Amino acid sequence: MTVVDANFSITARADLKDDTTDIHYVPAPCQVACPIGTDAPSYIAYIWEGKNEEALEAINATNPFSAICGRVCDAPCEPACRRADSDGAIAIRNLKRYVLEALGPGHSLPPVAVTQEKTVAVVGAGPAGMTAAHDLAEAGYEVHLYEASDQLGGMMFWGIPRFRLPQSAVQQDIDRITAHCPGIKVHLNTALGEQVSLDELKQKHDVVLLTIGAFVGKPMGIPGEAAPFVEDGVGFLYRVNAGERPTLPATVLVIGGGDVAMDACRVARRLPGVKNVKVIYRRDYAAMPARREELQGAIDEGIEIVYNTQPVEVIDGKALRCVRTELGEPGADGRRRPVNVEGSEHDIECGMVIAAVGQKTECAELDNAGLMDWDRVNTDLEGMTTADARVFAAGDGAFGGSTIVEAMYQGHRAAYYMKAFLEGNESPLPYRTPYRTRRVAICNDPDWEINPRVHQEFHGLGQVPIEFPEIESTYTAAEAKSEAARCFRCDAETGSADYTVSSRESIFAMARIEPGDTERQASILDSRLENRVNPFDQAHLATLDDLVFLPANLSRLVIDPYREGCVTATRLGANSGLDLDIPFTVAGFDDAPNEIREAVAKSIQQHGAAYVGARPIGAGARWIQIVSTETDAEADAVVFDADRAMADDAFSGGSAAQPVGLLVNSANVRAAVDFALERHLDFLLLDPGNGLPGLAGELAGAPDISILRRAVARLRELDREEEIDLIYFGGLRTGTDAAKALALGAIAVTVGAAMALALGADISGGNPVFDADLDAAEREERSYNLLQAFTAEASMMARCTGKTNLQNLEPEDLRAITLIVSHAAGVPMAGSLHQH
Amino acid sequence: MVTIDLSRTDITTANTRIRDCGRDRQDVEIINPDARHNIGVGLVEPITVRVRGSAGYFCGGLSDSAHYEIEHNAGWAVGDNIYSGSVVVGGNAGAIAGVAIRGAEIVVRGNMGSRAGQVMKAGTLCCGGNAAFMAGYMMYGGRIIVLGDAAAKVGQDMSAGEIFVGGKIESLGNDTMIVDMEPGERDDIMAFLERYKLNYKGDFTKIINAGKKLRYANQEPRARPQPFFVSSNSNNYWNPKVQEDIWIKGEVGRYRIRGYGASKPVPHLNDIAFVKDVTAVHYKPEDLKDINLKTTIGGRYGAKPLSLSMPVMIAPMSFGALSRSVKIALARASRLSGISENTGEGGMLDEARAEADQLIFQCLSGRLGWNVKDMQRADAIEIYISQGAKPGLGGQLMAKKVTPELAAIRGIPVGIDLRSPSRHPDVLGADDLVIKVQEFREATMHKVPLGIKMGAGRVNDDIKIAYKDGFDFVELDGLQGSTGAASTEVLENVGIPTLSAVQEAVDGLKEINAGDDMDLVMMGGIKDGVDVVKMLALGADCTSVGTSAIIAGGCIACMQCHVGTCPVGIATQDKVHEARYDIDLQSQNIHRYFESLRWQIASITKALGYDDVHRVNRDDLVALTPEAADITGLPLLSEHPALHKPELGLEVLNRKAG
Repeated sequence: MTVVDANFSITARADLKDDTTDIHYVPAPCQVACPIGTDAPSYIAYIWEGKNEEALEAINATNPFSAICGRVCDAPCEPACRRADSDGAIAIRNLKRYVLEALGPGHSLPPVAVTQEKTVAVVGAGPAGMTAAHDLAEAGYEVHLYEASDQLGGMMFWGIPRFRLPQSAVQQDIDRITAHCPGIKVHLNTALGEQVSLDELKQKHDVVLLTIGAFVGKPMGIPGEAAPFVEDGVGFLYRVNAGERPTLPATVLVIGGGDVAMDACRVARRLPGVKNVKVIYRRDYAAMPARREELQGAIDEGIEIVYNTQPVEVIDGKALRCVRTELGEPGADGRRRPVNVEGSEHDIECGMVIAAVGQKTECAELDNAGLMDWDRVNTDLEGMTTADARVFAAGDGAFGGSTIVEAMYQGHRAAYYMKAFLEGNESPLPYRTPYRTRRVAICNDPDWEINPRVHQEFHGLGQVPIEFPEIESTYTAAEAKSEAARCFRCDAETGSADYTVSSRESIFAMARIEPGDTERQASILDSRLENRVNPFDQAHLATLDDLVFLPANLSRLVIDPYREGCVTATRLGANSGLDLDIPFTVAGFDDAPNEIREAVAKSIQQHGAAYVGARPIGAGARWIQIVSTETDAEADAVVFDADRAMADDAFSGGSAAQPVGLLVNSANVRAAVDFALERHLDFLLLDPGNGLPGLAGELAGAPDISILRRAVARLRELDREEEIDLIYFGGLRTGTDAAKALALGAIAVTVGAAMALALGADISGGNPVFDADLDAAEREERSYNLLQAFTAEASMMARCTGKTNLQNLEPEDLRAITLIVSHAAGVPMAGSLHQH
Repeated sequence: MVTIDLSRTDITTANTRIRDCGRDRQDVEIINPDARHNIGVGLVEPITVRVRGSAGYFCGGLSDSAHYEIEHNAGWAVGDNIYSGSVVVGGNAGAIAGVAIRGAEIVVRGNMGSRAGQVMKAGTLCCGGNAAFMAGYMMYGGRIIVLGDAAAKVGQDMSAGEIFVGGKIESLGNDTMIVDMEPGERDDIMAFLERYKLNYKGDFTKIINAGKKLRYANQEPRARPQPFFVSSNSNNYWNPKVQEDIWIKGEVGRYRIRGYGASKPVPHLNDIAFVKDVTAVHYKPEDLKDINLKTTIGGRYGAKPLSLSMPVMIAPMSFGALSRSVKIALARASRLSGISENTGEGGMLDEARAEADQLIFQCLSGRLGWNVKDMQRADAIEIYISQGAKPGLGGQLMAKKVTPELAAIRGIPVGIDLRSPSRHPDVLGADDLVIKVQEFREATMHKVPLGIKMGAGRVNDDIKIAYKDGFDFVELDGLQGSTGAASTEVLENVGIPTLSAVQEAVDGLKEINAGDDMDLVMMGGIKDGVDVVKMLALGADCTSVGTSAIIAGGCIACMQCHVGTCPVGIATQDKVHEARYDIDLQSQNIHRYFESLRWQIASITKALGYDDVHRVNRDDLVALTPEAADITGLPLLSEHPALHKPELGLEVLNRKAG
């Protein structure tokens, strides 16, 4: 199967936990934008439901660094969010943080035992290495994690300042990983080439992963930068994160436009002695790679950003000589190159220069092993392999400085290929990011369209900047719920079998590809050519759903359903009559609580309907008695069980004024028709499931609607259609269902379970349980409203077909849209009647 | 004064001469009018036309700023939809005098027929004698003055405006009440009567709307849709969707409302496959340049047809259901892709007119936004009888969307739950419709195609009437057609599937040997080029795409169009929400969607072995389900004479999603 989305298409199918074969699911754009495919729609929906633990599972499933990412992920999901174009993306990142803080650090997934004999070495405990370790440990391998420093976390610990990422958050994630993966054995202060050699690792373990990071700042490549006046950004952040709080000169310049530059300038801003921090960047605002929120945070903290400016020389102890730039032609990376403006040379005075223009990797041990390519481990992205078949690599050390989530992606990817290697699979299917869904219901928040994005509180420098208090806090529970409600739920199936989620995504994709992109056009066309699963297969039941009314257009005059009347009065009983104001009766409340019966009785009385049951419902409501032993003189009509009546022929018609009927089911309908005609009875109450007077039979499932066709067919066969009335009971869920039954030949219908549901009944046990929190007035109103709505719906159908009286509905007003229903109801298929 | 003798001149020639006189500012005298229909229709110059005798239907209709004096009697719908100007009838007027007027003064010195002033928006309709039943029926504004008696149901279902009756009132209509006249009101009326030399000294009874039916009594709680499979009947008969519906009906006491079309599965085009494998085509644009997709619509009677770059139109969707921004984006995309846009109900926006090269102007029962000036700048006219989403019901626009700006263009009061009439005031049957068609032809000088829009019901009969009533094209909409608001019961249960509709239409036209005179445009669930080609192969001449174009432009299919607070600024009139819609971005997205559609149509046409999409035919199709075979009469795959051999590679046809 081909999945087509605006952003991607998958053809091969690696063996990964993945839900993209579900035809009711398409990964949302946020999920596709996330390198590790985080199931954001599910965790957001869980947050709205207040299910934080379920949310954590959804987050943690692909992201072992949830607490960290809740604060400092560069969150590519948010720009991809469809609501970004409307009134702002969902705050996916901060919602993640909310879950982690709401649950506290104690939560972890259950531990995974070591089940494999082979062991793995991972060198470097940053996001790539630890993610791979986590995945391999989950697969049952013992993983030995070798870390040069005295801390786990890599750049997450050493590179990100505490005011953005407190140590507790890093520790929380690490604790969660180690609790979940006891197979991970940690070796701190063990640097490759110093405390341990590559050969030793290869001897001890079956496979080695190099995730050694990029901890060395790249030089600016200008004269004078060797001066002590210049410090590299990564080193600067490292020593501050180690606890130093150096006093700096009044003016500090930070060179670069990435996240390291942002962190470095904001750290400098908080250190003693500093009055003035400027960031010097060679391109413009739009081209700046730093995340917008970090840039804005820096600006809000009083940092000046100097765009279009390129350093050309360091004047030690005094200043940085710069030139102005303009953006020229695009370079190899597709970004426009800055071009120096002639004669624009100027000096920016300062006491210190922090160069944050990129990082690189250095490792003599690997150099000697021939595994380095200049400033990185020579790695093939295809299989995450190095020149040594048993050595894999990932992360910044292999592919250059990037984001945490990208490093985690590489960790997952490396683990996938290493696992294949360990299992002896030399050419596994290509890795791809798996997409999962927890199939959480769409939240039903009335304000989902209106709620604006909730902004997290920003504290900036705080009261005591040097203590590095956190710059912002997460949501309260109420704020999180309000924000979660905003999610469009692009992943979820729609309410329309016609415009399904996959159809919608195909249309989205068609609208976002260039006409000349033949490959993508062809891929979408192929997906559009896939035949749908026949919705009317063997499992499809014959229900009233598959009947439609024929509207009046030119060949008939439509009656305005908004304004014009429709007669609903019904006389039941061809011989002696019971007059009803509406062709509705209600059944199934003989054993209901008194409060419920009172409400139903009132509504029946007010609407001029009737109750069908073994005992009267009161409130002066008309009553059609289901006779068990004797007829009741108070009944307005009486109905006898057809089988018993036919067996002993011992039923009395009560008083002359009482119309008499038979209760008929699917098995005895034909015989009952004959019998009733013979005895000149007034009506047949069709109860295909043989459920009356209770509701359990009706609630058991779809009714046998063919009972109507069979009763009418027999009457027509005998040409005695006018001599007896049919009342239909079973499975009526709307006034439209009722109108269909009337059109098929019933003169009135009986509503049961629908009335119970309107009164808030819980039907999960098969019998209605009235446990809804409703007062007497609400019960009365609901019961009244249901009959009102059903009557209005039924007469709306009549008027749409051009009828001014509900009793004028006829089979010719209907068409079937499935063969099974065409047969069951005896109604022709729409479209096929006139074919030759 | 120019004299035209209608005993020697046909009405079209006469109306052309009247217009010429208008340009020369010369008054016109019509002699021997012989109660001819459509006298003076479409005149938009301030001259006076004197009819020396009696006029038939629609005299002075669809005009602006002209004056008409009819010496004797006028037939039905005198002064239809006049914008400004006047009509004076010396004798009696037939039914629906002053129907849908948007200004102007209409004076009938004698009696007037039933439903006078139906759906009028503004202006004055005055009757010196008696008014028959339902004067002011469904009026939205303006005033009616009846000096004599008023028969039953005065002001029936009026939304606004005033009715003043001098004589007896037989009975008041629904939702009306009698109120005291306001100061100065009587003086205004007397001044009006003076001007037209109507002598009246008596009192008036003033009737206005009572305001009880303008809004739904209680609002339905908002609920986002459950996934459609929840209500699959093989799943659970009393499923959560059923339970939710019943619970909400218990709360509000009426049917539920939502946007979009039928949500249940129905037999559709994806139950049909092509007999040839058209997958894996990778045609480059240059490979497809010789595949003809050009389509002309509406040339049956010599009007200038719509010239479409492919057999695709944008479906009628109103400014009202949709925001102004969306109407602009659709119009722009239609121009960029060389297809047509359609106003839908509710009037023509200047910006949309400017953006679209080809714009169809739709006329609905309530005549909301309908006027001669926009007719005369339209590229085609379409009379709406019904639509697939809610055949039988008029347009529905919930109060949140009836903003002052929208109310102004439609000529209706602000903030009502607008429910347009189900029937045209002046079309009660096929015979009336013939004359209505002539009126529209006269108003547009026979220059633009005239179409009819219908939701699919008794298509086999209805299509024959449409043919015989003289339409150039039919836009036929199946059960799956969408809308901005309708009762879910009607959405799901009224009308036949698009697949059934096309088959009945093609069969019906064949039965009367209609040939291919009248163009058949099919809509209702068309999503891609696959659907378009299948539709053409089944016999349609063109297709129309609504929902999919909206989705291409950012709709997320939440089906809550009726609420009015669309999260992406599409189905809203709220400025804050509309601001979320980026016209430039979304018009490009819609345009790219149409270009992708074009690539698909051309690629499939070529893969089927044709160089013209209009040559695809039923032999190219095979039914995949018994339902599709039964409806269309196409062979079922398992019974197909040529395709039952496994060596033909049937796995392509048999592929199942998932």
